[in-house]
Amino acid sequence: MLTRRSMLRLAGAAGGSLLGSTRLAKAFEEVFQAAELPAGMRTVATACGICDSVCGVQAVLQDGVLRFLGGLPGDTNGGGGGLCAKGGAGIGLVYDPDRLKYPMKRTNPEKGIGVDPGWERITWTEALDTIAARFSNAISQYGAESLLVISRPSPDVWMRLLNALGVANRVDHLDECYLTSRILQRYCTGPMSWAHDFGNSKYVLLFGWDLLAKGKLVFARGIVEAKANGAKVVCFNPQYSATARFADEWYPIRPGSDLAVALAMIHVLLEENLYNQEFVANYTNFPEYEAAIRANFAPYTPEWAELQSDVPATAIRRLAREFGTMGPAIVPIHKKTLAANYTNASQLVHAILILNILAGTIDRPGGRYEARKISIPAVDAVYPRPAYPPKTGRRVDSKDRLPLVLEDGGGMFSTLADGMLTKYPGMIQAAFIMQYTMLGFPDPLRITEALKTVPFLAVYDFLPNDVAAMADIVLPGTTYLEVNDLLAREYSAKYPVVMSRRAVVPAMFEAKSIGYLAIELGKRLAPDYFKTPDGSWINPGVLLDEKTRRAGIANSFAEFPPSGLWERPEPFVPRTTFGTASGKCQIYVPQFVAKGYDPLPVWKEKRERPTAQYPYYFLTYIPAVQRRNTTENNPILTEMLPVNVANMNAALARGLGIREGDLVRLRSRTGSITLAAHLVETLRPDAVLVAHGYGQRSKLMRVAWGRGERDSDLIADQTVEEMVAAGNFAGSAGIMEAVVAIERVQDGGSEA
Amino acid sequence: MSYGWLFDPKLCIECRGCEAACKQWNGVQTLINVRWRQVYEKETVGYPTPALQVLSLSCNHCEKAWCAMACPVKAIKRRPDGIVYIDHDVCVGCQFCAKFCPYPPRPQFNAVKRKMEKCHMCYDRIDQGLQPACAANCPTGALKWGKWEDISSQGEGMVEGFTDPKHTRPHIRFITQGW
Repeated sequence: MLTRRSMLRLAGAAGGSLLGSTRLAKAFEEVFQAAELPAGMRTVATACGICDSVCGVQAVLQDGVLRFLGGLPGDTNGGGGGLCAKGGAGIGLVYDPDRLKYPMKRTNPEKGIGVDPGWERITWTEALDTIAARFSNAISQYGAESLLVISRPSPDVWMRLLNALGVANRVDHLDECYLTSRILQRYCTGPMSWAHDFGNSKYVLLFGWDLLAKGKLVFARGIVEAKANGAKVVCFNPQYSATARFADEWYPIRPGSDLAVALAMIHVLLEENLYNQEFVANYTNFPEYEAAIRANFAPYTPEWAELQSDVPATAIRRLAREFGTMGPAIVPIHKKTLAANYTNASQLVHAILILNILAGTIDRPGGRYEARKISIPAVDAVYPRPAYPPKTGRRVDSKDRLPLVLEDGGGMFSTLADGMLTKYPGMIQAAFIMQYTMLGFPDPLRITEALKTVPFLAVYDFLPNDVAAMADIVLPGTTYLEVNDLLAREYSAKYPVVMSRRAVVPAMFEAKSIGYLAIELGKRLAPDYFKTPDGSWINPGVLLDEKTRRAGIANSFAEFPPSGLWERPEPFVPRTTFGTASGKCQIYVPQFVAKGYDPLPVWKEKRERPTAQYPYYFLTYIPAVQRRNTTENNPILTEMLPVNVANMNAALARGLGIREGDLVRLRSRTGSITLAAHLVETLRPDAVLVAHGYGQRSKLMRVAWGRGERDSDLIADQTVEEMVAAGNFAGSAGIMEAVVAIERVQDGGSEA
Repeated sequence: MSYGWLFDPKLCIECRGCEAACKQWNGVQTLINVRWRQVYEKETVGYPTPALQVLSLSCNHCEKAWCAMACPVKAIKRRPDGIVYIDHDVCVGCQFCAKFCPYPPRPQFNAVKRKMEKCHMCYDRIDQGLQPACAANCPTGALKWGKWEDISSQGEGMVEGFTDPKHTRPHIRFITQGW
């Protein structure tokens, strides 16, 4: 029998080796699961909804009130029974006193950042009727192109509404996120994959990828596991980041030049034939295009790459050799950290996928793999519907000028203001924004001007942030702790794992779910799409029951295993065909040629280099305590990092006469912000680093208001013409492209 | 029988889950600069070969607790299992304890309640057979809690920058062995 004494002896014996942290964690769980909670307390298994890692959560209620969020016992593939600060502090979102409580309409006709909307409470019925009427009028008078919906493409019932209305202008932030990655994967390795088998990796090469600083537990735990199993970790990052701390070697690479190093590494692997011959011969199109491939990478020598990147040529050559010979190797990719920072991301992601392909670890132990999932039916499979009308009209984010982006369906925030102000002024007559703050847009001042041109704006959110405060009608949304849902694990699933998300507390005040919203608007705007075969309206609870039953999980959602985890352990069978056009991993992409793009990655410089006017690279990061839209106003998290600062190398600061705590103005061609300087040793001396997630200007968010500055004020948006000219064919927003001047603000606040 | 902390810095990913768990379970007041557990990140080597030391620390429930000895009103008490806690019915908020504690984050002054506060090892959880909230939520096992008789022989008693444990005998050990 496991006793605490014997478990701790395990910990001692483990000493330096990780113990299989999962093994030890499990040992602790087994003892403490037997413990009893104090009277009046009960637990509910659910799934965190702060980020997409979907770690399991054990919510503790005391007399019906949420008291604590702990990790979920048994969640070995997710949070490992733990939770990061964002997850642990999630209660603060539910009980936030500033939270939107009921639908409201604005009475102040003036709109702008920091402007009080003069909200007046209305009923849900009035809100929905008004929104439906405004949308209906816009569509009938100006066509479906006049509706702009800024939201993620989920849940399925929400998309049914948009598709039923023929909405072509659904825009989201994917150019700042994983649009580029998904497009390149589609052509190189198959459907979007998130999962990395770090535990079996022996060589982990990181271009940026600071997932530890972001607190993404699945990946962080994976890196820890890799290290415990003897993997070597190499990190290229201008910042010695939280992740760099785990690296055996760290190189302060010149911002935006990762592509050069990746190209040079491929050059070495090909020149010395250090790629996985068996995988490459059998599962890739290398044999078919070998001559063109070798010729493409021939100029990209390590010596050339050193001049672009500041990474020594000898190191590049040695690291490439290690990558090719030290066992399963992986170059992880995840969302923004690779695919959105620079305009050469299209080429960089392609090069990195090639590195992974040459390593022979696509859907193989130690490499990137497709999560194994069961089929959870979407609403279309449960309730058939009439055909959707065709999507016609102009694309306000210009995705039609980038065919691969149009095909993907992901949106672009970086081109939205140009679309609304310059290319198609006046086209958008009604807009709906779902769960985005102003911080999420490049050049927020410009997007504010763009949103002011829209005659009617409805916003659905949790908190009264800058975007919500621009709305004509604002709707209170439910948080993840107030809704039920089924979630298939994506980030770590060698066999199917489905989590249940349970409403731990009833919806607060009059908050409603997106499902409710979709169906209520559907009743008004597209009734034929929201009826079940027996003529009744689609009901979200019944739909969830149907999904649970048809997926083979349980007869109803209520009967989902109380542990919160449904698993179907099965052997991992590696793919022998891949979801690309040819069925093979494509190093050379012939489909790109047809569209006028390079079939292989070629060198592209980052868009903006330091100049005399703007001599420094402007870098941003997402701190572990912040996540899009859900954390800014949380007092527990705010305490951990109350304000953002201008992090700069101490030597750089000394050279500029800047001391710790001095106010400095950072100015790019787009805007300027003023922050306190913080001197560090962990950054290249030609860069300044600022945390994202600060600069909220809505006074209605009383914890977040006034703290720090928006990093995005320095970040330029783009025109699609600029993107095409830069060879940015897969839609990167280039959010770390900015270069800045740094000026010490004189004491007393007056500028020199 | 007493308890202690076992911290392995190389497993710490600085997610601050331990900090959030402590605040959430104990209802520690926010935005008044009182945090019973804190993750400290310190630069130990300069550019271009920087290094960071990371530590998650709270009260170490020292065997010879200088905070308790310093308290002029005997507000700081020890349970039979060694947990050192501040009795808020007695504390007058003089802040002497903080001046004597050798270990960050030290007892902290709650300016609203006008009392000193510090980690009490979640003794309400321990009494129910649970771990303290911080260790319970650590996703990598960097922060562990357990019986001192099992922990005390592991790792080292101090790390760089940590006051020599010989003075107060804090119940914390550090795994310093690398990967």
